[in-house]
Amino acid sequence: MELATIGRGDFTLGFKLAGVRKTYEVTEDTIEPTVREVLMDQDVGILVMNNDDASLLPDALQSALDESVVPIVVLVGGGETTQQLREKIKQAVGVDLWK
Amino acid sequence: MAIRDIKPTRSELIELKKKIKLAGSGHKLLKMKRDGLILEFFELLHRAKNVRSELDSAYVLANEKIGLAKAVEGAVAIKSIAFALKDVPHIELESKNVMGVVVPKIESSQVRKDLCERGYGIIGTSSCLDEAVEVHEALVEKIIVVAEIETAIKKLLDDIERTKRRVNALEFKVIPELTEAERFIELRLEEMERENTFRLKRIKA
Repeated sequence: MELATIGRGDFTLGFKLAGVRKTYEVTEDTIEPTVREVLMDQDVGILVMNNDDASLLPDALQSALDESVVPIVVLVGGGETTQQLREKIKQAVGVDLWK
Repeated sequence: MAIRDIKPTRSELIELKKKIKLAGSGHKLLKMKRDGLILEFFELLHRAKNVRSELDSAYVLANEKIGLAKAVEGAVAIKSIAFALKDVPHIELESKNVMGVVVPKIESSQVRKDLCERGYGIIGTSSCLDEAVEVHEALVEKIIVVAEIETAIKKLLDDIERTKRRVNALEFKVIPELTEAERFIELRLEEMERENTFRLKRIKA
């Protein structure tokens, strides 16, 4: 399996340098169909996206990304991922342990 | 279970006692599972915090380096160099079982490479580009680690929540209702026995 990245030009360019072949340059309009396409790709193990781009997606797709196991979705940049995980911990354990 | 639906018979009482025993042992087992999951979660939490902060700082550094490389070499040159790279990072997704929760285990091929192994010529490129490649390779490595740990944490949290709900439902709803029904049948049977004794005494008198 391979890694895939979806994002703006600068974001994907760096990953291309690290040898990632499945890089998809998107705009605001093309981001949603591209994400859906990559989610269906059996050869993608990890999907990397920027938090700002992920926040443009519809809520249903965002929660699908959040729950997806294959591919695993990793969001980078910004503190939203940490915040989501923090909320989840608070909900499950009852205490904010992410301090 | 509403009290009015219960038949006050001995067989029902025996059945209820069996159910209470089963619910009690289930409750005990689920509590142990919940505690075990929380222990596993605590072990992962510390690592998750560290790798996430490392990933964030690696991402900031990578952005800086790619900006610099783009300014020095130009986007087209960087893209053409990216095409020259030989190795693609491959990953193997496996799964492991942690107290009944299936969490992913990721094995990856080597991402970081030596300067000479990368596949592009080092004479025609600047050191800015080499640095950008190096930090991005490090970033990909961190992403792979974060992917494994954060998914494991999310799955553990889902299961902790589910188990907690089950434990609470058994402790505060199922077992008290069954115990109440048991008490009701016992009282009703005692009452019926007293009525019988009284009836017999009246017949004798």
